[in-house]
Amino acid sequence: MKAGAAAVPAGAPAAFADPLGPAVRALFADLRHAGDAPPGAARGDAAGAGVAAERMVSGEAGREQRGTRVRFMLRLAGERLLQVRYRAYGCPYTLAACEWLAQRLESTGRASIGGPADWARDLSVPPARLGRLLVVEDALTAAFAAADKTVTDS
Amino acid sequence: MSGEAPAYLDYAATTPVDARVAAAMSECLTIDGVFGNPSSMHFHGRQARERVERARVQAAALIHAPPQQLIWTSGATESNNLAILGSARAAAKRGRHLITARTEHKSVLDPCHRLEHEGFKVTYLDTDREGLIAPERVREALRDDTVLVSIMHANNEIGVLQDIEAIAAVCQERAVPLHVDAAQSAGKVALDVARLRCDLLSFTAHKLYGPKGIGALYFAPARRASLQPLMFGGGHERGLRSGTLAVQQIAGFGVACELAAAAWAGDAAHCERLRARLWRGLEPLGGVLLNGHATQRVAGILNVSFTGIEGESLLMALSELSLSTGSACISDSDEPSYVLRALGRDTELAQSSLRFSLGRYSRDEDVELAIAAVTREVRRLRAAAP
Repeated sequence: MKAGAAAVPAGAPAAFADPLGPAVRALFADLRHAGDAPPGAARGDAAGAGVAAERMVSGEAGREQRGTRVRFMLRLAGERLLQVRYRAYGCPYTLAACEWLAQRLESTGRASIGGPADWARDLSVPPARLGRLLVVEDALTAAFAAADKTVTDS
Repeated sequence: MSGEAPAYLDYAATTPVDARVAAAMSECLTIDGVFGNPSSMHFHGRQARERVERARVQAAALIHAPPQQLIWTSGATESNNLAILGSARAAAKRGRHLITARTEHKSVLDPCHRLEHEGFKVTYLDTDREGLIAPERVREALRDDTVLVSIMHANNEIGVLQDIEAIAAVCQERAVPLHVDAAQSAGKVALDVARLRCDLLSFTAHKLYGPKGIGALYFAPARRASLQPLMFGGGHERGLRSGTLAVQQIAGFGVACELAAAAWAGDAAHCERLRARLWRGLEPLGGVLLNGHATQRVAGILNVSFTGIEGESLLMALSELSLSTGSACISDSDEPSYVLRALGRDTELAQSSLRFSLGRYSRDEDVELAIAAVTREVRRLRAAAP
């Protein structure tokens, strides 16, 4: 069936717009950080000084039966975050939030990441889906806890 | 999408209006058309009444019913409400028990819940894992105070067809009236109320290429005295449904029924062929489960669950397709399909379902597009899953 009205008209009521919103739609369409991190190697300068063994840690939360399950995998060298990957089962907001967090963590690090309320605001996640972001937060918190523990242990 | 509208694969939610139906409707709107109030005695009123009664003949013919046994409603939801609430309340002194199924449409279940608040008891029958209700289960549930059994013909989510004739036979053994929600089967399969032996039957225009906002309720001759109206104010439709008749809607419904009576077999064969191709195209993905009986079903609906996939993500990723995860009436809900849960699917599988529904205007290229898009997105989302 062909109709000439596929594009959303400017100023269209919200009900006709993409329910995901542009930010979530773009992230959801390009889950470039989804999947496992490739195996890494120890890094250091040419003389071997400052070598910090890379390590992978992960944290997980949620259950498929509840609609959301997320696992974050962090590659670190010492306390430095090198790479973030995730695997996620859930709604588009869940997947988009995971992708967005992975991008931000790799570019700006852990300090400026904020919390679920900030993520919901920045991504225009509807209040009814905030619970999904709490699962994402739990997975990320578990991954950081594992990272902190391995630093302490080493 | 490159500016093109998505392929429409949601005919179970609603159908486009046939151009011939739209033409008939447009004849009933403007000053030079049949715009009168059918209750008026003057020329314009009589002219409108003639159009309404012609449509009643057309709609009744689709289900092989006498025209006088049909009343107009706003759609299947109102027909179901009138059948269930109207029957139960009219029979309340005789009994206060009803039987229905867990897989019914909300427009049947919610009136039943309403009746429970009014002191009625309702038995909700389980289906088997393929969505079918054994007539024996109905027999076991019947009680001396049962005043109505309400079982849908074709399920709106999974498309399975219940054996209404067998269920009706069981009901007749105990002289309990049977209501059938035929919203998804009218115009899709042969319907004959005498053969089905049902007492009440609901159907609607917008599922058979007619307009939204108009439906009908058939009632067997013996039912008239035991149906209490829900709306009052003018005594239209033999006192069962007051309100000025929407002539343009009714005229459109009538033409849609006439067209459906001539086209349903061809439409069904067309949909059957496309559905078979769709299933063959999706099955190689693996982890694809057919929901509902494989053969006892309407031709146009294919409901499948994809293991390891969350249904909303899959649906939202398929922007080149217009289709549903379940009933369009409840798809705002975050809950998994209660119909699939009733079939014994676990929550994960119930959440991972898509309902493809095909119709008269579905094309081979729509189905090929669907196969390609679903294959692409299922692989992508599975690759991202834990």
